[in-house]
Formats: sequence, structure tokens, C-alpha cells
Amino acid sequence: MRLFKKTNIDFLNVRRICYLISSSLILIGIITMFVKGLSFGIDFKGGTEIVLAFQERIEVSDIRTALTKVQLGNSEIKYYGTDNYVLINTGEQAEGTTIADHIKSAVQASMPDKAFEVVKEDKIGPKIGKELRTDALYAIIWAFAAILAYIAIRFKFAYGLGAVLALIHDVLITLGFLTILNGLIPGLNLDISQEIIAAFLTLIGVSVNDTVVVFDRMRENQKIYRSMSLGEIMRKSLNETLSRTLITSLTIFLVLVVLLVFGGEVNRGFAFTMAFGIITGTYSSIFVASAFVLDWTQYKNRKKAAA
Amino acid sequence: MRNQLSRIVITVCFVILAVYFLWPTIQDYNYRKELSRLNGADSIAYAEKNHDDMLEAKLKRMKLGLDLQGGMRVVLEVDIIQLLNDIAKNRDDNFNTIIKEVRTETSANEVSVIPVFIKKFQDRGIRLSRYYGNIRDDDDKIISMLEDETEKAVDRAIEIVRNRVDQYGVSEPGIQKQGGRRIIVALPGVKDENEVRQLLRGTALLEFRLLKDPQISYKVMDAIDRYLTGKTDLDTAAAASAKDKEKKEPEKRRDALTELTGGTTVSETDTSAEAQIAREHPFYLYVRPDQQGNGEGYVAEKDRDRVVRLLERPEVQNLIPADFEFLWSAKVQTFRDEQKFYILYPVKKTPELTGNVITNAQASVDPEDNRSIVNMEMNSEGSREWARITGANIGKRIAIILDKGVFSAPVVQGKIPGGRSRITGMDSPSEARLLEIVLKAGALPAPVTTIEQRSVGPSLGEDSIKAGMNSTIIAIIFTILFMIVYYRSAGAVADFALIFNILFILGVMAGFQATLTLPGIAGIVLTIGMAVDANVLINERIREEMAGGKTLRAAIDAGYEKAFSAIIDSNITTFLTGLVLYQFGTGPVQGFALTLMIGIGASLFSAIIITHVIFNIMTEKGVNPNFG
Repeated sequence: MRLFKKTNIDFLNVRRICYLISSSLILIGIITMFVKGLSFGIDFKGGTEIVLAFQERIEVSDIRTALTKVQLGNSEIKYYGTDNYVLINTGEQAEGTTIADHIKSAVQASMPDKAFEVVKEDKIGPKIGKELRTDALYAIIWAFAAILAYIAIRFKFAYGLGAVLALIHDVLITLGFLTILNGLIPGLNLDISQEIIAAFLTLIGVSVNDTVVVFDRMRENQKIYRSMSLGEIMRKSLNETLSRTLITSLTIFLVLVVLLVFGGEVNRGFAFTMAFGIITGTYSSIFVASAFVLDWTQYKNRKKAAA
Repeated sequence: MRNQLSRIVITVCFVILAVYFLWPTIQDYNYRKELSRLNGADSIAYAEKNHDDMLEAKLKRMKLGLDLQGGMRVVLEVDIIQLLNDIAKNRDDNFNTIIKEVRTETSANEVSVIPVFIKKFQDRGIRLSRYYGNIRDDDDKIISMLEDETEKAVDRAIEIVRNRVDQYGVSEPGIQKQGGRRIIVALPGVKDENEVRQLLRGTALLEFRLLKDPQISYKVMDAIDRYLTGKTDLDTAAAASAKDKEKKEPEKRRDALTELTGGTTVSETDTSAEAQIAREHPFYLYVRPDQQGNGEGYVAEKDRDRVVRLLERPEVQNLIPADFEFLWSAKVQTFRDEQKFYILYPVKKTPELTGNVITNAQASVDPEDNRSIVNMEMNSEGSREWARITGANIGKRIAIILDKGVFSAPVVQGKIPGGRSRITGMDSPSEARLLEIVLKAGALPAPVTTIEQRSVGPSLGEDSIKAGMNSTIIAIIFTILFMIVYYRSAGAVADFALIFNILFILGVMAGFQATLTLPGIAGIVLTIGMAVDANVLINERIREEMAGGKTLRAAIDAGYEKAFSAIIDSNITTFLTGLVLYQFGTGPVQGFALTLMIGIGASLFSAIIITHVIFNIMTEKGVNPNFG
């Protein structure tokens, strides 16, 4: 079976439009981040998170009423997967697990007829939260640095730059998308947690995969067709690898959908982030990374010619 | 064919190794299944018969993370600053200021305490030998001494925590040091948080201290009360420095009063008895002196925090003589009218004896009132001291204090020989048992604070395992079907390699005794999607080469050769991000990074080596693989 016949699409011709689309998407994302604010999970802000499993469906408003009595009414309360699991999340700090105890006794006192079981309870000190935030930032910077260095060595510096630019593009668009959607889809928690950061790093790793495969083909074609211009080489290489790029992205996307549906609550945010990221990643390896390399090289050549 | 042979041999070796490493895990699973099938006497007999094998399988099987089997993870931080404070001599105001500054500066982030601490002294031009070591020692010597001390303290803390956990009885606990001053404690299968908190929290510093003369205690309470109403004739110590503070003094007093009352004021015209007390004796409104002349104060449960804050204020501290302090009762006391009180005991600052003389502890029940108690035994030196102390203080009261909480303050009836003592006032037998454990394990060299605690209930763990299994199987089926539909027999070959790939991942994980977490399973699922990428690259390339007019055999070889650099480069970049993730992530996320990296390695091998061998054998046998 072949989904993609031998193609000859002039991807790079539309790159200016793509720059426009990408920058507006990034801009929308950044504006949303400023307006709505990035919502961090307790891993990163410190606090208490507790998941209660009830026997039957429970109303979030009832839980809020119960918590208001102990001055925890401003906690984040939402369903965790199904509607008999409730996740309560507060940034309040206190020694030990005092906050969690308050929550449990308040819920029990206000709904004595409804039994519940504590299935998950996390308490993160503010110090840990702050450290994890810096660690996550460093992790992403280091990943970029490692990729830049590796591609610069294996190909050319401009290629490394193009690849990293495409990755920054993916991360920003995905982050903006998550910020916009967070809280809109019931049962899907997109607060930035350790799992989401892991998704971003994996996304970086997988997205750069596509870029590298295109670059590899360009490296090969440059040796064979010495007289061809870079633009033509790129067009040829992008078309030759198109089938592989799409097939691979499709299999990974399929697997992520499986993980999203069947992988359990913990993996849901991860799978969602990556599934969206795979789409931007595939797009960016064609329209951002290669396009940047082309524009950058042409700019350098013009400068050289002028000098 | 020779070339093929070596590849086949390597593959077979890997398969055997993977199965060998996975064998205990499989066996462990079988034993468990068998045990849950049998019941009653049969299961006991079965467990006894296979005891050794089961134990071995359990030790060597692949470990499940706390998120899959349920349990608690606690991160403790050893309070190095407190330790530096405790081992210093001749502490003065300068020293206390430095300690305070270091505490605020290091509370925000994970920096080493000692360099910050030392820099403070050097900035002020104070020699460390004023507070530590010998007066002739230079700073370098003292710095290395302090570093050594703290290192030892953290190691000793780990040792003690391990002792406590072992005695508490957790199977396969994980206790490890993280960074300079943190301890990670993983307790699989543990459900009762309250117990764990008691087990890990306290330093278990046991002290026997004499109570201060009640008359002095009453006087001090009076002084505080007068201070709050503003009628104070300042204590001599405070008076010396009062001149320059004169202006601020009324403000401070008002602050202190607000601290206590929480800002509620009593109207001047209110003539009720309560209002009168509130106006004239605000302190006594919250702290009621006992009626028996013991020098104790009773504080209602709800007021405790306020009184704690009031007593912490420096101007109130100035009113309390230097040789004693007020300590709280460890437990809330309930009186006949159902009111709940904490008791403030006036105790001397210097302990008569500390817990390091305790050699044994035993939880028990008091035959007189059936309450839980812990009996303690002392070593010979401690016994002699104890006999001397009790002999010299007949009729006086000695407080038994654990981690600054007073458990009881009995009157000494007579000299106690043989080093016997007991702690009373436990709420339950389980609390007594935990106290027994921490007393036996010894006191921590410095206080520890819990900075992170995560617990997962066993039911969520089971759900997670199910979810993980389901998604893995469904992902495998999807991928297998897709490859066969898209690439026909070449797809089937890639699928075959995929199965080996999963076997290798599990084998490597079992071999390294790595821990499988839920994000780890996500890593495996993702690897399944990514593993076929190498085969997609190769198969697409072979299709291209065939379209270019090459024979099947030549196209296969060219396809593998030309796809190789793309496969290597793209996988190395992914591997690099996995490495970064492993370095910076914690717990479950590290589990994910690990499976991702192992998955990349395994998929490179199975996608490149195994499929190539199969294609070669197929073409040699005259069976032409179909690339769809």
C-alpha cells in the first residue's frame, strides 16, 4: 500500500506564508500565556494535591462548600478521569500533611454519608517546587544545546540552528495550545507537571528526528547532484522523505492516541501534549527548519557576493 | 552466510540473556498467581514448600515503582543550619544573626549551606575559631572539620532512618541520599501515613529535665501579663537596652498584644467579667495558671498557636530568665468538662540526662489504667546517673521530654535504681510501638523536615498497571496491523523485530534491576511507535531503490546502507534528550527517560540487525519479501 505517490511539491515556495502563520500562532500562544497565566501543577508551585475516590458520582460544588468551611475554598477542584474521582489541589503551605488532613476531615464532616478512599496524596514543599522549575528550564536548555551541538558537528552550524529554531517553535506553539485548552476539556488536566515537561522533552527528541532525516537526505543529494541549487536540493529531499516523515509521524500519533484513551489518568496529559506536538513537529521540520536553512544560506551568500 | 551467522548468534545470545534476566519476574508472577488461587492451608503449604525460590524470585524480579504498587515516597532534608548552631560554642548575637541570615538565604533554593555560612563570617572578618574547634585552629581546618561533621551527620541520619524503617517492617524499602543533605525514603505498600509521619518526623531526642520552681514560673507569667497591659516595670535585663528603644516599646507591646488576641478589642464600656479580664489581664485570658501550685499554664487547644507566637517574641523572651523555658505538653489534654487544653511546663534548659543512655525500649500497657506506655532501660553509666538524679531530687518533678514535647512530669517518689524509666501518655498501642522503634534507633544528629511526600493508594496502582498493560497491548496490535497493511511481508518482518525489541527492553530493565513506573510504561508504548521508524526509513528507501531499477537483493542492501546514517543521526538526537531528561528529572520521569533510552538502543539493534538477517535469509531461500 502507498499513501503517498512520488510527489513533487514546492514546499519552500510557501515558506513566507508559513512564517506568518507560525509567528501568529506563537504570538496568540504567548498572549494567552500572559492573559490566562501559565498554570503550574503542584510539582512546580508547591502545595498539596489529593485525589479522593467516592463510591458514586460527586458534585464539585459540594466539595467546594465543604472546603470553604476550612478556608480552603479557593482550592482547585476537578474530576480526575471519571466523575467519582475528585482531585483537590491547593497551594497552601503548612508543616507536614496538615493541609491534606484538613481537606479529608472537612469533606468527611460535610458529607458523612459518602464514603471515600484516598487514592493519591502529594505534598510538595515550596523549595522543591522552585528547584523543579529551574531543573525543568535547564533540562530544556540543555536539550537544545545538545541538539545544536550534535547537528552542527554532523552537518553544518546553520542546520543546527534551523533544527533548534524549529524545536523552539514546536515548544512555544504546543505550550500556547495547552494554555488555551487547559480547563476547557473535562477530565483532562493540562497543568504543567513533571509529566508535561517530560512530554516536551520527548517531543523535542522526536520532532528533531524528522528534521534530521530531511537534512540527511540533503547531505546525500548534495554529493550526487553537485550542480543543483540548495533550493532545488531541498525540494527534492523534502519530497523524497515526505512519505517516511508522514508514515512515522502517523504511527507515533496513533500510539499516542492509544495512550491518551487507554493509558490512565497520569499519562493523559503527557499523551495529549505529545500528540499535538507531533503535528507541529512534523510541520516545523518541513516548513521551519529547512526553510530557515535556505533563507540563512541565501542571506550569507548575498552578503558574501556583496563583499 | 558467515556474516549472517555471526548476526544470528548475537541475536540468539541477546534473546537468551533477556529471558534469563526476565525469568525471576515471570516466576514471581506465577508464584503470586498460584498463591492467590490456593487458599487456607494449601496456600501456606505452597508458600512453605517454595519459600526459598519465591524469595529469590522476589529479590531479582523487575521492581515496580510506587505509582504502580502503591506506597509512599518521602523526601527528608537534614537541617544542617540547626546542626551548625548546635555544635557551636559561645554563641552570641553576631552568631545568631548569621544563622538567621543563612536560614533565609538558603531556604529559597538548593545551595550548599556551609559555603554561605562561612562567607558570612569572612565578610564580617570573624574568625571561625571563635565558635568552633580550637582557638588556634585556622579557618581552613575548621571548614574541613565542619564539612566532615555535617557529612557524618547526614550519613548517621540515613542510618537511623534506615533502622527505624527496618524495625517498622517494610518490605523492600528504598533509602538513598540525594545531594548533600537530603534523604529519599521509598516505602512500597505502606498505607498509614500517620504512622510513617511519626516514624520519620521527630529527631527522637529524649531528655529528662527538672521543672523550675513554681513560684518563679508564676512571677514570669505575671511579668508577661503586666507587660501586655503596659503596666510593666521592665525587667532589669530589658531595662538596660530600653533607653534607645523607649519610643518603639509601646508599639512592640501593642504588636505583642495583637499577636495574642488576634486583633479583637474589648470595648471600654463592656463591664462583663470576661471583658474586665481581657482588659486587665490579657495573658491570663489565654493562659490559665493551674490551681495546684505546680507553676503550669493551661492553654485551650484553639489558642495554642497564638501563645506560641507570643512567647517567641524577643521582648517576651526577655522577661523569661535564661535558665528555663516554657515547653508544651506533647499531647492535648481533655478535662472532665470535655475541654481540650495544652499544658505549658516551666522546665530547666539543661537536661539532667538525655536519650543516648537508652539501650532498650519496650512498648507495653500500664496495668493500673490500661494505657499504653513505653518502658526504657539505660546503660550502666546512665543507670548510675539516673539513680543519683532521682535520689537528689525526691519530691521534685522531672519532665520526660521527647523532641521538645513534654510527655509527663511525675514527682520523684524515691531513688530509682537499675536505670528504669517510662514514657506515659500514649494515645494508642501503635503509637507506643512507633515510639519504641524510634527510641531504639537512636536520636537523629540534627532535625529533619519533610519537604516532599507522595503517596499512591494500592487501588490506583492496580488501575495504573491495568491501564499500562492495556495501552501497551493495543499499541502493539495497532502498530503491527499498520505495518502489515502498509508494507505487506516486509511489514511483518518489522513486526517480528518489534516483538524482539520489547523483549530486549524488558530484559535490559530487569537486568539493571530498573524500576518500572507508569511513565516508564508510557516510554515503552512510545518506543513501540518509534521503533518502527527505523524500518519505515529502510523500507521506504528500498522501495525507492527498486523504483530506480535495482534488483530486489541489491535494493535491500542499498536500502540498509543508505538509511543507516539517517537512522543513527536521528536516534542519537532523541537519545540525547532522553539523557538530559534522566539527568534533570526525578522519580517517575526518570523511569520514563530510562525506558526511552533503552528502547532506542534495543530498537536500533532489532530494526537494523534482525530485519536485515531475515530479509537476507528470505532472498537466499528464494522467498522474495514484498515491500507493498
